[in-house]
Amino acid sequence: MSLISELKHESKIIRASILEALYASGGGHYGGALSIVDILVVLYRCILNRSIHPARKYDRDHLILSKGHAAIALYAVLKHIGILNKFDLAGYGKCQTGLEGHPDMTQTPGIDFSTGSLGQGLGIGLGMAVALRNKNRSVWVILGDGECEEGQVWEAAMLAARLKITNLFAVIDINGAQEFGWTYDKSVDQEPCPNLKKKWNAFGWDTIEVDGHNHDDIRKKFTSKHTERPSVFLARTRKGKSVRTIEEQIKRFHCTSVTKEEYDEIKKQLLCSHD
Amino acid sequence: MLSRLNDICATYLSQKAYEDEYIWVLDGDLADSDGADKFLSEHKNRFINTGIAEQTMISMAAGMCACGLKPWVFSFAAFLCYRAYDQIRVCISQTGLPVTLVGSHSGGCVGKNGKTHTAINDICCMASLPGFEIWSPADSKDVLLAIETIGKRHAPSYIRLPRDPVADMNGISEEIRWIDTPNPIAIVSHGLATQWALATRSVLKEQFGIPIGILHLSKVWPHSKDTLLSYLSMCSHIFILEDHIKFGGLAASLKNLNLKAEIHNYGWPNSWPGQSGSSSELRQLHGLLPEQLARDIILVLKN
Repeated sequence: MSLISELKHESKIIRASILEALYASGGGHYGGALSIVDILVVLYRCILNRSIHPARKYDRDHLILSKGHAAIALYAVLKHIGILNKFDLAGYGKCQTGLEGHPDMTQTPGIDFSTGSLGQGLGIGLGMAVALRNKNRSVWVILGDGECEEGQVWEAAMLAARLKITNLFAVIDINGAQEFGWTYDKSVDQEPCPNLKKKWNAFGWDTIEVDGHNHDDIRKKFTSKHTERPSVFLARTRKGKSVRTIEEQIKRFHCTSVTKEEYDEIKKQLLCSHD
Repeated sequence: MLSRLNDICATYLSQKAYEDEYIWVLDGDLADSDGADKFLSEHKNRFINTGIAEQTMISMAAGMCACGLKPWVFSFAAFLCYRAYDQIRVCISQTGLPVTLVGSHSGGCVGKNGKTHTAINDICCMASLPGFEIWSPADSKDVLLAIETIGKRHAPSYIRLPRDPVADMNGISEEIRWIDTPNPIAIVSHGLATQWALATRSVLKEQFGIPIGILHLSKVWPHSKDTLLSYLSMCSHIFILEDHIKFGGLAASLKNLNLKAEIHNYGWPNSWPGQSGSSSELRQLHGLLPEQLARDIILVLKN
C-alpha cells in the first residue's frame, strides 16, 4: 500500500472512531472535527518531529489545535499513533477521564497547549516559535475560518510577520461554516471570514492554498520550501467530511448528539464513502 | 530618595537575567513608561516589544514559558489585567505556567490619564484566578523580595506597582511584617497604601500622641489563615487601607478570618470609576489623605 493510500485508510479509521466516541459520550462537535482529520493525519504521520531528547524536553515540533472544539479529532489521532493508548475515547468530555471537552495540557498527554477560548492559539504558537527558532523546530497552529473573526488572531499575525518568524505555520480549516452564522440575513457575507488569502497576504504572511482532504496535496504543500516569512496554509475542507448527513446539516452538526438509529446511519455512510 | 518601582523592578530583573539566560521580557509598547526599557538596554536579545497587542503578548508569553523560557510581561496594570483577562485566565491560570505579569500604574493614582488607565479592582480580578500569587510592593526592597521569591516559586505571578515614586521603608522586606513595632491598633495595608499608612501614623503620633502599628503585606495573595491570624489576633482595632476599591481586595480576604477586632475599610469607593487628577486631589476627594484618615481613626477610637 502506498503512503497516500495508508494515510487515506487511517483517516477513515479515525473518522469512525470520532463518530463512535461522540455517540458513546453523548455528542459534540461533529462537523469541525471531521473537517480536520486529513490535516491532522498528515501532520502527525509525515511532518511533525515529535522525538524527545531526555535532556531537552522542549526540543521537538509543537502543534496547537487553536480551534479547540475539535478536540475529539486530535484525541482520536493521538490514540491512533499510540500516545493515548490508555485512554478510552468514549470518555470524551466526561468527568475525570483525562479527555476534557477542549484540549487540556494539564490533563492529557500529547497536548502541547490548552485551547478552547478561540483566537489564542496563534499567539501561543508565536511564543513557542520564538523559544524554538534557533533549535530548528517548528510550531503548527490549526485555526478555524470562523475563529479568524477573533481580533487576537490578527494581532498575532501582524506581530509574527514583523518579527520575521519563519518556523511558525498556521493552517486554516476553511470548512465554510461556523456555529450560527448569518444565514438569517442573505444581504451580508456568508463566509465566516471572507477574503482570507488577501487578508493573510496583507498581514505579511506567505499564503498557500491546499485541498484539505487530499493527503498528497497536503503533504507536498506542508513540506514545500518556505520563505523568510511565516506561512499560512488555506485548507479548503468540508464540514462533516465523508458523512453525507452531517455535510448536509452542518448547522445542526456543529455541535449535537445523535440517536442510535442516526449513529448507525452516519457510521454506514462513512464506511460506504469513497473518500 | 524617591524611586519609581517599575524602574526598580526592570533594573533588578536585568541584573538577575545575567545569572539566568532563560529570563525574557515582553512589553506592550510602553517600555519607556513602565520601566521595561531598563531591561532592553541590558538584554536586547531577550526583549520583545509586542506592540499594542496585550492579548497576544500574554498568549505569546505563555507559549514561551511552555517551551522552557521565563517570560516577564510588562504593561500598565489596567491593560494586562483587564484587556487580556481571558488570555491570563486560559493561558496562564488554567495551565499553571509560571509567567510573571508586571503591572505599572496600578491603583487609582494615575495622574492625567484618568479612569481608563486605573486598575482599582485588579486584585479582585487576579485573586479570583486559580493559582495566581499577587505582589504589591511598597518600596524597592519589596520589589527585590518579589523578584527573588517568584524566581524560586514557579507559580503564575502578578506584581502591581504604583505610578507614584516612593521611599524605602524601615526594616527588612518580608511577605508580611510589622513595620517597626506591633500594636493592637493597626493599619493593615499593601503597596502604595502602606506609604499612606506611614504618613497617617506620623500624623497620629506627632499631632495627637496616638501610637499605632502598621502591618504591611508585600505579597497580598494568598496567605494561609494561620499566618494572618498569627499577626492579627492580637489586634483590637484594624484599619484596612488599600489603593484598591473596598470590594474584593485585602479587606475581602481578611473578612473570612472572623477576627474579634473592630474592622474598618479604607480604599476607593466601589462606585468610583476613576478620574484624572493629582494623587493628593484624588485622595482628598475620597478621604484618603493622612490627615483625613487620622481624624477618622481618632473618631473610631473615641467611640
